[in-house]
Order: sequence, then C-alpha cells, then structure tokens
Amino acid sequence: MTTVVVELRGCTRDYGAVRAVDALDLSVHESEFLALLGPSGCGKTTTLNLIAGFVPPTAGRVFLDGDDVTDRPPHLRGLGMVFQSYALFPHLSVRENVAFGLRERRVPAREIERRVGDALELVRLDRAGRQRPGELSGGMQQRVALARALVYRPRVLLLDEPLAALDKKLREGMRDELRAIQRSVGITTIFVTHDQAEALGLSDRIAVMNRGRIEQLGAPREIYEHPATRFVADFIGASTVLRGRAVANDRVAVAGVTLVVTSGALSSGADVELAIRPERVQLVPGGGDNVVEARVEGLVYQGAQTELTARLRDDQRVLALVTEPAPAPLEVGQTVRLHLPADAFMVLA
Amino acid sequence: MLATRDVKLALLPALVVLAVFAAALGSLFRWSFLEFVPGSLQTGGLTLANLRAVLAPQYLATIRDTVVLSALTTLLTLVAAYPVAYALARTPSRRVRSTILVLTLAPFFTGAIVRTYAWILVLGNTVITWPVPMLFTERGVLVGLVHFSMPTMILILAAALSHIDPVYERAATSLGASPARVFWRVTLPLSMPGIVSGGLIVFAWTLSAFPTPELLGGGKVKMIANVVKDLGALALTLALLAAVGRLTAGRAS
Repeated sequence: MTTVVVELRGCTRDYGAVRAVDALDLSVHESEFLALLGPSGCGKTTTLNLIAGFVPPTAGRVFLDGDDVTDRPPHLRGLGMVFQSYALFPHLSVRENVAFGLRERRVPAREIERRVGDALELVRLDRAGRQRPGELSGGMQQRVALARALVYRPRVLLLDEPLAALDKKLREGMRDELRAIQRSVGITTIFVTHDQAEALGLSDRIAVMNRGRIEQLGAPREIYEHPATRFVADFIGASTVLRGRAVANDRVAVAGVTLVVTSGALSSGADVELAIRPERVQLVPGGGDNVVEARVEGLVYQGAQTELTARLRDDQRVLALVTEPAPAPLEVGQTVRLHLPADAFMVLA
Repeated sequence: MLATRDVKLALLPALVVLAVFAAALGSLFRWSFLEFVPGSLQTGGLTLANLRAVLAPQYLATIRDTVVLSALTTLLTLVAAYPVAYALARTPSRRVRSTILVLTLAPFFTGAIVRTYAWILVLGNTVITWPVPMLFTERGVLVGLVHFSMPTMILILAAALSHIDPVYERAATSLGASPARVFWRVTLPLSMPGIVSGGLIVFAWTLSAFPTPELLGGGKVKMIANVVKDLGALALTLALLAAVGRLTAGRAS
C-alpha cells in the first residue's frame, strides 16, 4: 500500500467562461514520478498551479499528506517548483539563489552553507556558485533551478515544462539527469509536459489530459499499448484510427474488407474504432488476411524509414512506416497493399 | 536602418540648442568671477569675491536647507509613489489601469502655478484645519514638492515594475517567502533601476524648485532658486534705477 502524497478531489477551475480544469480527481503516490501530459490548453499547467496554490480551485479540494490545504497560501505549502523559464533571481548569485528557500526557513547560516554546497554538488555545479544566473548556459540554469527547489527537501517537486527551453541535444541529456536525480532523492514529482517522448521516458505514470479532464491514467507502456480513447491513441504516437462495424466478436468490416481483430472482444453490429500504430502496418506484395488496398497520398523520406500516408477505398487515412530501403520504389498515386496484423489493433472505447 | 550620416544630420537641431545654452551658461560662469559694480550691469575685473560671498552663513544655510528638503522630498515621493506605481503596473483590470493613469497625469494639465495656489487654499486651513501650521512652513513646502514630483515618479517606477516578470515573485513564493518577504527580497531589488532614476530626477529638480517654495513658503522658506531670484531681481532693479537716473539726469543738464 503506497502513501498518497498529493490528492485532488473534484477540482474545477474556471477562467471567466472557460473551464480550464473540470472536476478533476487525481492521487499522486509517495516517490512517484507522474507526468501531466497534453496539448496546450488542456489544463495541465492549471492543475500544477492548483497543487502549488498559485490558483485557487473554483470548486473541489486539494490535499497534501491527507491535510486539506485548499486554503493554505502557496508559501506555506512547502513544495519545490521548477519553472519553464527557471525564474532564477537575476540580482542574486547562484549560491544566493539556491540558499533562498533555506533563508526563508531561518536555517542557521553554517547549515545553509553546507546544504547549498551539497545541492550544487548534486547538480554538478559546485564551481559556479559565485556567478550570476545570466552568465550561465541554459542547461546550467536548469540545474540551478533544480538545486534551488530541492535544497530545502520539499515534500513534492513540481516541474513546469522544465526541458522545453533547452535545445534538442541538451534536452535528452537533461532528461536522463533529471530522472537520475529524482531517483536518488526519492522525491514525489509532478511533471507537466506536452512532449509525449519526455513523458514516456521519464514517468512512472502518465495522466493524459484533454479539455480539463484526465483521459487516461496509467504506466507509459499501458498508455502507449492500450490507449483508452481516440484522443490518447492520437496524442501518444501518431496512430491511424479506422472506423468500422463489428460483424462478429473478432471481425470488423472496414472499407469493404473484413478485418480480423484478436486484441479485444467486440459486440457484433456495433460501430467500433480501431487504432493501429504506423510501425505495425506492413507493405506487402500480395493479398491475404487483413490486407487492404490503399492509394498513396504522401511520402516523407526520413532516412532509416519512409512515412507513408495512404487512403483506403472509403477515404479513411492510414499511416505506415516503411523501412528503407523499400522493396520497390514508391510513388504518390500508386496503389499499395497494406497488411494490418490482427493483434496490432487497439480497440478504442 | 538610418545611416550614421543621417543620424548626425538629425542631431543637428539639438546640437544648436545645446550650443546656445552652453554659451549662456558659460558666460554666466565667467560673470561669477567678475567684479560686481553696484548700480550697473557693467562688470569690473576678475575677482573671487562673489564666490566668497556665497560662502556667507545665510547662503550656506539655504544650500543646506535645500539639500535636506530635496532629500526628504525624494524619499517621501518614493514611498508615496511606489504603491500607486505597483498597482498601475500589476493590475489585471484595464479600467483600474486607465483610472490610475488619468489621475496620475491630471496634475500635468493644471500647471505649476494654479496647482500651487490650490495648495495655498488647502494648507491655509480653508478646506481642512491642520493641527500644526502648514502654510509658509517647510512642512507645507514639502507637501507641495512631493505632490509636484508624484506623477513623474509614478510613471518611472511603473515602467520599471512592469519590466519585472511576475514569475520571479511566484518563484520566491514557492520557495517559502511570504508576500512581504517576496517584496523585500525580490520586487524591491529588481525595481532598483526605477528607484534610482526616479530618485535622481526628483532630487535634481527639487534642488532647483522655484514656484512651490516661493508661493507655499511665503518668503519664509527659501530654497536656492528663490535666493537666486531675489538677488537677481535686486541687481536688475538697481541697474534699472541707475539707468533711469542717468537718463533723467542727462535730460536735466
């Protein structure tokens, strides 16, 4: 039985007529790394601000370690936060930035000295203490922000798109480092991102958000392999979603072809949506079970593979990744045969 | 993009004005080393007597009073203007912002003299009765100077405050700082450029303030500009008298 550290119960937040967060329930467990993932405007940042206390909920309650903190001002919640822009104080040195939270807690000067040193060592910045934040690179600023938020051992670490401001190469390095630091400190972490790769690679659990609600909450593999809704299937990895009608408990009629579906129980006669990952779709030379004909609409060469977009006879779109070199040269407008494996379908609710 | 040559050309009018002004100031400076001939605009030979005269106790007292009054004005204006500037820079409501802005700029449309006469009415116990004498005291002059300096100070501070990203205040809050501590450790130091430039401007123009101490001081509170005016008027009057005298004398003979 794991301890619930952060809990939102029926939290709603309106901005004028816009409902940013809609009756949200969420429990975050001890030492867990949870990602709030979704497109911009899905309510993930508002959710983070509800937990931090910067935004009061219009309705609902927020709990920290079982205590109702809904009416507790943010500076008394004892959380650590890393902002997207890092928000390092430009008028203070790196050391003074990191010491800020300790000074507010009236920690004795000698202990501040020691703990700031430890925190800077943790993020491998022990030599940059005297510099001003403006003199540091983006990656170093990010690490200072992390040290500043961790040094007073907060109960929960909140990360608001912490990697978004870094360039791609640096981002990947920081992602691994962030994960390693979080593991070694063992702190409960809530992480807001719009980047599915980041969420999949970092988190223990992902809450996929859309329009102020959680569409699906689960482990990265679960979310990727068994998306609960069309939105999740589409947002996590580009997927093809096909509409059809179940003709038996394992048969679906799509675009005049009957497809065998072994990955879910269907009720005959019902309209169903099937999702399939582009990497599971295969280009085949001849006919057979679960093979559909499609007309090539677009080709994007990506080196190791080519991304192929094709239309079925009823105009539904299918994405496929063709491993290069392709068996035969592909052209826009030509008709190809695509094999959709029976066990590759994800049946959407 | 303007070429360097075009920029130089555009600066020409400003340079002409500057040159004329510098020439006038320069001649005034030269005059301060020339002997004063009573009853005449003519000057005598080189002398340090004028400078020595300025060091007389009554002038030194005026200079000291002026500096103290200017420093006090700067400080009080800062304290009074800061909350208004903060509200102006941070309010999310467009209506509140326009209201503050209009109220801030309103004094600019009344002119220094009219405004000061209004202060004479207020300080002279006609509108409210003050527990201590205000009109024709340094207190009264101080009130007038602070009021006169407020709009400029508010605008300068608001500009500085609006350049501070509120995320710094959020960050300080997340680190455990109460609103008062956030202000003390983050907002105030980050608004220092505005405090310094606003303070310098108010201090500089209060040093040379003239109508406010002239009217609200009623001759009892003298700042440097008032003394300069008194001396200048005296010298000119004497010169005029002398000139008039010479004319009439010339006629009679």
